[in-house]
Amino acid sequence: MLIGITLENNKPDVRKPKDCAAEMAAHLDTVAKERCKASFAKIFGYFAPRLRSYALKQMGNEAIAMELVQDTMSNVWQKAHLFNAEKGSPSTWIFTIARNIRFDMLRKLQNRKEDICSDDMWPVLCEQTADPKEKSLEEKVTLQQVGELFNSLPDKQKAVIEAIYIEGKSQQEVADELNIPLGTVKSRTRLALQRLKDMLETHD
Amino acid sequence: MIKFHPSNQQLNTFSNGLMAPAESLIISAHCDMCIQCANKVVLYTEAHSETVFDESSQRLDPNLFGTMLSQITSQEIDRGAGSEPKNSTLELDGRKFTLPRSLNRFSESIGNWSHLVGKIWQAPVNIGGDTVANFIFMEKGGGVPEHTHRGTEMTLVVNGEFSDGLADYDSGDFMVMDGKNIHTPLTKSDEGCLVFSIVDAPLHFTSGWARLINPFSHLFFK
Ligand SMILES: [Zn+2]
Repeated sequence: MLIGITLENNKPDVRKPKDCAAEMAAHLDTVAKERCKASFAKIFGYFAPRLRSYALKQMGNEAIAMELVQDTMSNVWQKAHLFNAEKGSPSTWIFTIARNIRFDMLRKLQNRKEDICSDDMWPVLCEQTADPKEKSLEEKVTLQQVGELFNSLPDKQKAVIEAIYIEGKSQQEVADELNIPLGTVKSRTRLALQRLKDMLETHD
Repeated sequence: MIKFHPSNQQLNTFSNGLMAPAESLIISAHCDMCIQCANKVVLYTEAHSETVFDESSQRLDPNLFGTMLSQITSQEIDRGAGSEPKNSTLELDGRKFTLPRSLNRFSESIGNWSHLVGKIWQAPVNIGGDTVANFIFMEKGGGVPEHTHRGTEMTLVVNGEFSDGLADYDSGDFMVMDGKNIHTPLTKSDEGCLVFSIVDAPLHFTSGWARLINPFSHLFFK
């Protein structure tokens, strides 16, 4: 029996990560400030089964997968104060913690002695100190917002924006690739950009 | 101005954590120097997290998770955080080079610089596995004999400029060379050029330096 903690296990939580980002961010804040076990149980309830399925796919072994879940969620409990909602969504933060743990676990399992740690490449659980060489705050905020907003675009618009703005393709190339008229690519791009612009404005 | 970047596929695999450690390291070091690629990594990571956790059928099985939850919440909260690694420097011949953050760990642990050929210096970096990693410093006028590659060689220009008969490279540029490429790296810059290089198989020289085996990143005379 768990004392003071309810595991809500009757129904699966079918929301997409982005649909409960604000709620999860608020829970993380409560965990950070008050060590609130009930809030943590909500985060745990949503992410632990998802982490398990990610870990099973990656590691292919139940015991190791559960170790990955436990290590990740322990970090979430202990380091909730390092979560910064301005820098990313809760799901991205938790994913990056799990990704790092997985990276280091895999190296150990393979008995490889590389002196390469996930922290060197992805300092997820470090206090970020201002580095003059780093991008300006403005750039970071915009980038962060665009990242979130980008994910909330309809899939068709996302595909077009990704091909043009991330992969650097021309509109014609995208049209050929997706086998749709150039005009459609143009209108999807315009709609997506308008939507991003509107969302950025309401974000301020 | 950085002109040569990792491919989107490389950045994507790096973001996902599914890339081999040595390759991840050099891609990460490039992203430390390149805002454009760092931005893409943010977007890819965000997208991965949405996909990874988009499992609508997941429900929490109390048999699996009940004890885990109570174990975790009985742990003390650790207020500490690892401190952000500082940029560290590499010294060579009285000169200091600032390393990209991802390579900081190696500033203290690299092997000795050895003088190779002409104006080329090399210091090995022990990253383990089958991958050979080196810092290479080319003094002004220093070059590597024409060679092609067996396996894949990835190079990041940490500081300086060089040309290889195919293109001109500047600080931050990242390049992948394989068997299809034959090149002759040479630096004309007064400051010389420091690169970080990893290679997964020895390379094969095409010019008279037949006894020079191994990469741009791992030269030695026999
Ligand atoms: Zn780049």
